[in-house]
Amino acid sequence: MIAIENVSKWYGDFQVLTDCTTAVQKGEVVVVCGPSGSGKSTLIKCVNGLEPFQSGKILIDGTSVGDAKTDLPKLRSRVGMVFQHFELFPHLSIINNLTLAQVQVLGRSVEGARQKGLALLERVGLSAHATKFPGQLSGGQQQRVAIARALAMDPIAMLFDEPTSALDPEMINEVLDVMVELAHEGMTMMVVTHEMGFARKVADRVIFMDRGAIVEDAKKDDFFGSPRSERAQAFLSKILSH
Amino acid sequence: MNYNWDWRVFFKPTGIGNEIYLDWFVTGLGWTIALALSAWVIALLLGSLLGVMRTLPGRYAARIAGAYVELFRNVPLLVQLFVWYFIVPDWLPEPLEDWFKQDLHPAISAFISVTICLGLFTAARVCEQVRTGIQALPRGQAMAAYALGLSLPQVYRQVLLPQAFRIIIPPLTSEFLNVFKNSSVASLIGLMELLAQTKQTAEFTANLFEAFTLATLIYFTLNMGLMLFMRWVEKRVRVPGLIALGGK
Amino acid sequence: MDFSPIVPALPSLWEGMLLTLKLLAFSVIGGVALGTVLALARLSSNKVLSLLAGFYVNYFRSIPLLLVITWFYFVVPFIIGWITGTNQPIGAFTSCLVAFMMFEAAYYCEIVRAGIQAISRGQVNAAYALGMTYGQTMRLIILPQAFRKMTPLLLQQSIILFQDTSLVYAVGLMDFLNSARSQGDITGNLHEFLLFAGLIYFIISFGASTLVKRLQKRLTV
Repeated sequence: MIAIENVSKWYGDFQVLTDCTTAVQKGEVVVVCGPSGSGKSTLIKCVNGLEPFQSGKILIDGTSVGDAKTDLPKLRSRVGMVFQHFELFPHLSIINNLTLAQVQVLGRSVEGARQKGLALLERVGLSAHATKFPGQLSGGQQQRVAIARALAMDPIAMLFDEPTSALDPEMINEVLDVMVELAHEGMTMMVVTHEMGFARKVADRVIFMDRGAIVEDAKKDDFFGSPRSERAQAFLSKILSH
Repeated sequence: MNYNWDWRVFFKPTGIGNEIYLDWFVTGLGWTIALALSAWVIALLLGSLLGVMRTLPGRYAARIAGAYVELFRNVPLLVQLFVWYFIVPDWLPEPLEDWFKQDLHPAISAFISVTICLGLFTAARVCEQVRTGIQALPRGQAMAAYALGLSLPQVYRQVLLPQAFRIIIPPLTSEFLNVFKNSSVASLIGLMELLAQTKQTAEFTANLFEAFTLATLIYFTLNMGLMLFMRWVEKRVRVPGLIALGGK
Repeated sequence: MDFSPIVPALPSLWEGMLLTLKLLAFSVIGGVALGTVLALARLSSNKVLSLLAGFYVNYFRSIPLLLVITWFYFVVPFIIGWITGTNQPIGAFTSCLVAFMMFEAAYYCEIVRAGIQAISRGQVNAAYALGMTYGQTMRLIILPQAFRKMTPLLLQQSIILFQDTSLVYAVGLMDFLNSARSQGDITGNLHEFLLFAGLIYFIISFGASTLVKRLQKRLTV
């Protein structure tokens, strides 16, 4: 579904991604972890072309992201993405956040989009908030809306960029619960996160990145059982100790 | 439509004295610079005083300065100029009125009117910048100065103003540039500054594209030159280690 | 001082005010529209486009408005003549309108640019991630938020513009100030008419900026 081949990226002289290669199969849940500044957020933004990369290739469902001929908006409309800071549109009500792209990008009818939006709000447990504005919701609620907004586009895969790291601790679980449910339903997911509990529960594979490179790419049990690299071990012991 | 481009027009004689058209531009630029600099002196002195007044603890000083700012900011510059040029001289005591209207060269009386007008107009804007600069300082600065036993004038002169002025150099620069641009209103009461000379050249020669292009270039260069100068000033007075306060 | 001649002159002063307001309204609309286009160009990743827009803005910001008004009064008829091949006079109103729109666009551009830059990059990413094009992202997500934030600044600039419209005196257009001056000349009460005009300008500008300040407070709370 998502194939990342030898991707490298530079900011000027500074190399942020070094020769990254991995893949996410259909229905697979892949967790990407690593210390901050390791390039994991940059990598996931490259997947739907929000960040350009200078060499290598990324294919989504057979379409090349970096190709100048690719219709990026169309490709992105098929891949859902959830951001660290939610990025709901503050000038639109919750329901309009969910319908805007359905109508403007997919060309769905306003009423159809509304029904779909309401159904998804129901699913993330926020039907009561449809007419509120993002600023009136808690962080956890906003992130659930953001997930619903991405799902409304009927994506073939979902990208999560540290979806819980801007949340207060007591709100993390309500978001993770939605993601776990999504994983159980067979959604293809690529998730950048530090939540190792989530990785243990639903991940198929875990990728560990450090200094812009993929250091480890292993089945979940192998990763948690005995990470091969020292850096991954050090990272895990730091994260899991609290 | 035919138009005869001729960039040599500036070196042609005007037919008045021995002057070529370029001389007109030089004279005009001279007036513009003289106007702007003298108005700026007034604006800076009065504006600083008003700005300080707006931050004083007492009520009256702040109110008076506030009223001044509102009055001079909400009446168009041209109306203010008409008031200074057409009305105020009539209110002067008779000997002074006669001197202003009859004894003075018309260019000089126009110059005085524009200078006062532009100086007072700009003072209102300088006042607001100075006030902003003072209020941007941490409150602890004034308290620390008072705690050392400094008097109120000393607190302002030694502690607050030196810091505030450094902060507001960029906005003050744009006010300084505005004075040069605004001085062009003098052309409307017959003072032959740069814009008036340009208009006159355009009318005399029918080479209006060339005349206005040259005027534009002069203003543009003046603007850039002054901006670079102010950047240099800003760098020279910068306090080492105080970058954050400068808000850059 | 005798203010009584102002009463019979009110209709012609009103005519002048209408012209001032018409000029203001068109200039604001045209200036904000052009300024927004310029701001988008300045922020564009296309180097040439952003350089050109930057030059436009710096150029107009470094010359006096009065120069632009006078320039355009002389030159716009020429240019229109060249384009259309006819020799029609276009009148001072049109040339002033073009001058104000183009001049103010440079100032509005900087306000709009700052407004757009104040919207976080994440909003652009989120819109792109939903499959929106650049145009949709700007039109539906970024500009509506930016305009909301910068409304007070745009209004403040428009109040300055309202005062600056009085400069059309330079080309003899009968705006509010010029009608006051000419009525003053006719009746021989120039002082009173000028003071009256100043008072009206003050009331409108002061009232409007007080409202803007209130709006700004409400927006920031």
